[in-house]
Amino acid sequence: MSVIAPDFSGRTVISFQHVWKRYPNGTDALRDINLSVPEGDFVFLVGPSGAGKSSLVRLLIREERPTKGKIFVNGVELGRMKRRKLPHFRRKVGLVFQDFKLLPQMTVHENVAFALRVLGESRQVIDRRVARALDTVSLHGKLGKYPRELSGGEQQRVAIARALVHAPRLMIADEPTGNLDPATAWEIMQLFLKINADGATVVMATHNREIVDLLRRRVVVIEDGQVVRDDRAGRYHEALQASALRA
Amino acid sequence: MRLFRHLLFALNSAWQSFWRNAGVSVAAVVSITLILILAGVNLLLGHALAGVLDSYKTRVSVISISVSDQTPLATVYDFKQQLEADPRVAGVTFVTKDEELQRFSADPRNRDLIANIEGNPVPAKLEVHVKNLSDVDAINNLGRTWRGADRTDPTDYQGDFIARMVKLSAWLTLAGYALMAILVVVSVVIVMNTIRTAVYHRRQEIEVMKLVGATEWFVRGPFVIEGVMTGVLAASLALGLLLGAYRPFVERFRADLFFIPLSYDPRFVSTLGQDLFLGGALLGAMGSYIGVRRFVRI
Ligand SMILES: Nc1ncnc2c1ncn2[C@@H]1O[C@H](COP(=O)(O)OP(=O)(O)OP(=O)(O)O)[C@@H](O)[C@H]1O
Ligand SMILES: [Mg+2]
Repeated sequence: MSVIAPDFSGRTVISFQHVWKRYPNGTDALRDINLSVPEGDFVFLVGPSGAGKSSLVRLLIREERPTKGKIFVNGVELGRMKRRKLPHFRRKVGLVFQDFKLLPQMTVHENVAFALRVLGESRQVIDRRVARALDTVSLHGKLGKYPRELSGGEQQRVAIARALVHAPRLMIADEPTGNLDPATAWEIMQLFLKINADGATVVMATHNREIVDLLRRRVVVIEDGQVVRDDRAGRYHEALQASALRA
Repeated sequence: MRLFRHLLFALNSAWQSFWRNAGVSVAAVVSITLILILAGVNLLLGHALAGVLDSYKTRVSVISISVSDQTPLATVYDFKQQLEADPRVAGVTFVTKDEELQRFSADPRNRDLIANIEGNPVPAKLEVHVKNLSDVDAINNLGRTWRGADRTDPTDYQGDFIARMVKLSAWLTLAGYALMAILVVVSVVIVMNTIRTAVYHRRQEIEVMKLVGATEWFVRGPFVIEGVMTGVLAASLALGLLLGAYRPFVERFRADLFFIPLSYDPRFVSTLGQDLFLGGALLGAMGSYIGVRRFVRI
């Protein structure tokens, strides 16, 4: 098994430099985060509830700005990015969340197509790219169904297909399997592995211990707003043991 | 092509959103209709008042100087020439005693008076057209100090009354503007609130749009259109109601409001229509523009 050398053969996609995040109510959600993700990496963010994983994700897509420090994505500092550049940035990043964020009044096809419709793409372009994305997530037979007619796993596939229509080089997921049973979670995880194998960098916050242990990918442990561990081929429980020892 | 699809998307979304929040939308349309009617009535009254003042101004900008019976004609002509040379004066007409008497007797109200009078009691007159209302006072002083003027009643100028009229008209104009300003603020706030509701109802869609990289103005566009729709719809209703009521109102109250020369003025109605539509669209656009800037951020 080949382990990617820690510092860094490929191009750096994400870099956090002394990043702090304090919310207006005074909570320090992130404290001096330093993190570097090379192109093609697959990173699990793990840690107890309230550790700051979602905060990190929100900073990464510039839903929030860091209080201190710098975040670079593809060499661009997010804090300095102009507001009108933001949409273009988000088109290059695939986002997947625990709650799917599908629009209930739209069918599977419409939900995926929506990501292209808001860009004013033509019907031919939309149909072609939606079909390809739905193919990737093996949902071709459910085009006309509404989200409420689908299982959780299928809904998450739709959300992933929507994230894929822009052919992103970076996928960011916040507990994508949080609402799913283990078997379905495993299927969704296979999908992310496939996307990663096709060349996209994946950053995923998760509580799913079995999967993290099984995959032996890079594991970044966040606790109390700080990176306490960063293993190239880590396991969930090692991480927790480490933190238990420290305590 | 892309722009056309954006426009289509925005129109379609605006239309759906308008009907999805039908209750709020209709309430907004009704409120703004009422506001525009108020504004329309304000404009109509302003128009009528302007008419009164205009006719009044042309009347008061003419002063007639009564010429004393002892003044020789040559002196009168000298003074007339002096006035005509004055840059503030538009023109001077000399009315002889006979002409003035004829004019006086032509009025049926004076018939009884004339019947009981012997000789010619009315003086000859110099009628001076002053170019600017503000110069009337100065020209009046010239007339009063002229030696040839009638001692007891040298001019027909009522300075006090004119000053008060000018002041009143200034106040009424100001009140009209103030009313308009209040109406503008109120309607902008109403539109802002409908936009707030619409944004709330579509927060899920807005979140997804953000997620997939829609531009800020792509997200905001439909709401601005919805605001303009609200305004234009209200303007059509207001115009319809005003047109329906204007003529009957004029007919009914012309006699009671004799001091205002009420009349049906079709030319004014067409400019009123333009103003209302433009006003409605602008109010809608302004309210929703401010609304989306506050409630829709990417
Ligand atoms: N918008 C906010 N305003 C104030 N405090 C917040 C906000 N969002 C998160 N926090 C706080 O910041 C800390 C980190 O929260 P965050 O959601 O990032 O944790 P997490 O690791 O994602 O937790 P979980 O595993 O439960 O999702 C918590 O203490 C949380 O209460
Ligand atoms: Mg979280």
